[in-house]
Amino acid sequence: MRIIPALIGSLPRPLGLAKKIELYNIGRLSEGKLEKAYREYTKRVFEKSRDAGIKVVTDGMYRWDDIFNPLIRYIDGVEINGLFKFYENNFFYRSPVVKGEVSLLDNPIPKWIRVAKEILEDVYPEATLKAVLPGPVTLAYHSINEYYESLESLVNGYAERVLNPLIKELEVEIVELQEPALASELSRATREDEVHISKEIARAVIEELGKVKKLWVVTYFGTPQIIPEGVILNVDLVEGSLPDGVGGEIGLGVVNARETKMERADRIRDRLLKLSGNFSIIYVTPNTLLDFLPESVAWRKLRLLGRLGGE
Amino acid sequence: MELPILPTSVIGSYPKPRWLLRQYKLYRLGRIPEEDFNEAVRDASVAVLREHERAGIDIPWDGEMGRSEMTEYFTAKIHGFRFYGPIRVWGNFYFNKASAVSKLEYREPLVLDEFKFVQSVTTREIVKVPITGPYTLAEWSFNEYYSTKEDFAMDLAKILNKEFKLLEDEGAGFIQIDEPAILNHPDEVEWAVDVVNRAVKGLKIKVSMHVCYSNYYLLADYFDDLKVTQFALEFANRNFRDMDFLKKLTHQELGFGVVDVHNPRIESPEEVARAVRKVFKYIEPERLYINPDCGLKLLSRNIAYRKLVNMVKGVEIVRRELEREGKTSIPLRTLRDI
Repeated sequence: MRIIPALIGSLPRPLGLAKKIELYNIGRLSEGKLEKAYREYTKRVFEKSRDAGIKVVTDGMYRWDDIFNPLIRYIDGVEINGLFKFYENNFFYRSPVVKGEVSLLDNPIPKWIRVAKEILEDVYPEATLKAVLPGPVTLAYHSINEYYESLESLVNGYAERVLNPLIKELEVEIVELQEPALASELSRATREDEVHISKEIARAVIEELGKVKKLWVVTYFGTPQIIPEGVILNVDLVEGSLPDGVGGEIGLGVVNARETKMERADRIRDRLLKLSGNFSIIYVTPNTLLDFLPESVAWRKLRLLGRLGGE
Repeated sequence: MELPILPTSVIGSYPKPRWLLRQYKLYRLGRIPEEDFNEAVRDASVAVLREHERAGIDIPWDGEMGRSEMTEYFTAKIHGFRFYGPIRVWGNFYFNKASAVSKLEYREPLVLDEFKFVQSVTTREIVKVPITGPYTLAEWSFNEYYSTKEDFAMDLAKILNKEFKLLEDEGAGFIQIDEPAILNHPDEVEWAVDVVNRAVKGLKIKVSMHVCYSNYYLLADYFDDLKVTQFALEFANRNFRDMDFLKKLTHQELGFGVVDVHNPRIESPEEVARAVRKVFKYIEPERLYINPDCGLKLLSRNIAYRKLVNMVKGVEIVRRELEREGKTSIPLRTLRDI
């Protein structure tokens, strides 16, 4: 069994970059200078990941405000609504309001991935880059549906008309889908919603997207209730547990990205040892987005993951 | 104490004047002495208080000019917390989320000086003192010390109770407990209610609880259990949808949020009046206060002010209608009245 340290989703957006984005938003920084800042900070992600021993990386999602934005700005049929809590976190996202049939518009996401890949090849060519997108199920659950007959029609719409064409355009081998909704249905904390997507449909749409490109399906805030075939499933072992029937390659969220307290590497190793017979590769990851931690602590946790890597 | 019917108030925060933000920066860099910084905060408090009063707000506050942020301000004053760095709330807005690293202790008053100053300079009979609640302080902090979150939050409740009693003794008439996180974990709400009730134990004054961006149907199940006089809730952000949960609010008051604090568009007085009339279906005017959805600090100062002006103008439209029914004022209800 191999243990490979990996990053999932976003990193805390550095304050220096946030200030530059704000300056751009009020017209006091040019687009060119903002783009230069994005590239410099992305380069820093890859250098620090290399130094921490993280072998599978993302670009830190510095261009994203949350896991849905800005993608939802590039979907025809969707308007952007007010702020909602992302599950029970003190972290908010702008919700998509679906007003018509959804379809992907021209968007810069493939270009952003190309840029990140070029930077990675320059500073850390041995690493694997994942592109990160919201999964169709989580995106549908977090939408306000004012058009489709059912949430299940919406999830199909997002998968077929938005994510499928976008994934095709991304020049990476692996696409990470953020799918917390597979483990934690939209919490009653934020909405009183009785509408559900059946497990069969959720599994089918993800497996269908898995035919387009290799998928790494990241679940968190619970135990996954849906196990799509043919994908790398990421399971949150801090707030959930390993479901039955998983094998091969798996991602395991073994450090808590919602608490500053540092885990002990020896205890995590013992835990992984017990699971070693079940998997060919274990990717050790944070249990959820590192955006919930201060930047310094996020990197400490990544360095801890880096120390777990090996045979 | 009598108040005009549909008393208007604020939730708490307000945009800090740019010159004050510069003072914050200079103070953090050690370039101005503490007394100069404190003087700047007091001047800003007066300026904002006057702005609220000029807009026609009946129960104002100073917009939290002396508070850097709604949790950090408190956790920095409570012994047992430490800070590792800011974390993002949304977009490019951050806060310094504290970590509890030892048993928490109340070593100094948290907002007493702030209250005494505002009380001394306001032209209004009563002000509202907003204070972040114990559950939200625990939920929005990291916990490296307590074995359970309930123990963590309960210690915070005991600390806040000391502060509340101090405020009551010093003449505060209206405290607002800000609990935007109280519904975060549906399975924790039951003990979270006990935590809030512990924080207000022994108080006799008016206590409101502010909750925003949450599932109010879940909150409604606990309306009767929470020992507060009023619930100040957000409605404009959700476009006044889904208000049926208000049927369960049978005796406490509603602080009705009619101004969206995340949208720079200024609501017209007619829109505000329409919203207020809409909520009459659930709450009679005698149990209704009017406020923005939440703190206004994320807006520009000019827009925040104009939103308050129109909010009051909208309320005045409805007040004129109520006057025809002989409804012009209400008594200030306190915890003794519920």
